[in-house]
Amino acid sequence: MATQTENNNIQPIHETTIYAEPVFHVGNFQITNSLLNSWLAVLVIIVFCLALRLKLKQIPSKIQHVFEILLEGALSLCDQVTNDRKITLKIFPIVTSLFIFILVNNWLGLLPIVGSVGYFANEAGHSVFIPLFRAGTADINTTLALSIAIVVASNVFGIIAIGAWKIFNKYVNIKALGGIATKFRKDKNVLIVAPITFFVGILELIGEMAKVASLSFRLFGNVFAGEVLLASMGAIFLYLLPTPFLFLEVFIGLIQALIFSLLAAVYFTIAAQDHEEHGEEDHEKRLAHV
Amino acid sequence: MQEFIDTFHIDWKLMIAQLINFGIVFLVFYLLAAKPLRKLMQDRGDLISKGVDDAKKNDAMLKATKAEYDEMLVKARVESNKIFQEGQKDLEQLKAETMEKIKKDTDEWQKNRIKQIEIDKNIIVESVKEDIVSLATLAANKIMDEKNK
Repeated sequence: MATQTENNNIQPIHETTIYAEPVFHVGNFQITNSLLNSWLAVLVIIVFCLALRLKLKQIPSKIQHVFEILLEGALSLCDQVTNDRKITLKIFPIVTSLFIFILVNNWLGLLPIVGSVGYFANEAGHSVFIPLFRAGTADINTTLALSIAIVVASNVFGIIAIGAWKIFNKYVNIKALGGIATKFRKDKNVLIVAPITFFVGILELIGEMAKVASLSFRLFGNVFAGEVLLASMGAIFLYLLPTPFLFLEVFIGLIQALIFSLLAAVYFTIAAQDHEEHGEEDHEKRLAHV
Repeated sequence: MQEFIDTFHIDWKLMIAQLINFGIVFLVFYLLAAKPLRKLMQDRGDLISKGVDDAKKNDAMLKATKAEYDEMLVKARVESNKIFQEGQKDLEQLKAETMEKIKKDTDEWQKNRIKQIEIDKNIIVESVKEDIVSLATLAANKIMDEKNK
């Protein structure tokens, strides 16, 4: 293909784009290189889980022992975030599967076939190299989808844990406004505190959107920056120079997966806590002291 | 917003596809790895704690049995000692009684024997006397006969 392009005297464009390139289409639906890599990641995870399931024994083998240690470690890490074993057991499967999905996607993006195996396509008169694979998390669609899912799921978890009314009041604090009428005689300060509390609720709502943005862009930014870094190092000197950066990317892939899943655990935990209850308790304690 | 969507090529279909991917990973991980592995670990933990509990119970039972055994051993020793003492006492008594009886019997036998000997002696003496008389008579007759001749 390269010879063909040289014959045509057209310099092929080979650059890392900020978006995932479509590789082929199925009807209206475009299959991007990121989606292909994600499917590969899903396949790898299915094979691993199936192999583990088939080899599970009461007396564990060495591999099962390693998995058991990892599972215990993950549970204990989750416990440190939630401080409640019941919540840990409820959110553990979703948080851990999130970690595995992101980790495998991150690491599959570091394979030699990613970014180097592809084809040349003609776009607007230029020959453009389209890689067949791209890290699943180097596409904002993946990270955005995961972030939205986590934020929505954490709120649903909150509704199940403490009730829809309390979650609604967390964002649109009607209770605080209603408190003006009921608590005004006892405490005049409620005139100032209630609108501020209501405004804090609105900020919480904006905060949920910020969570989506921060989660998705942090992961996407780190993985995409890693790809760019590796491509740049490869462009400077292809042999040995990218190796230390490759190790760095392996580490970053792990750290980013861990950060994403731990933040998800934090969001789930926060959503399951009834802040109002604690606030009222504190307020009553303060009044008792007075 | 449109600029953002165009720059990053945001496509809701791709987002749904990635969510489906994650959903598959979640289900596979939960059903094939996390749930069975946790159940297995839980079962093993239960088995181990049951084993530890059983061992503790057995240990307590062993200690109780040993204490009971020791107590019974002491009791048995006391009992056997008592039985031995009583036996010895009975034996002494029996011995004394037997000795006394033997002595009594011997004395009686001796008395009877002496009596019998006395009777026999008297009989013998009487017999000897009779014999002597008869012999004397016989001798006297003989002497008389010779004189008469």
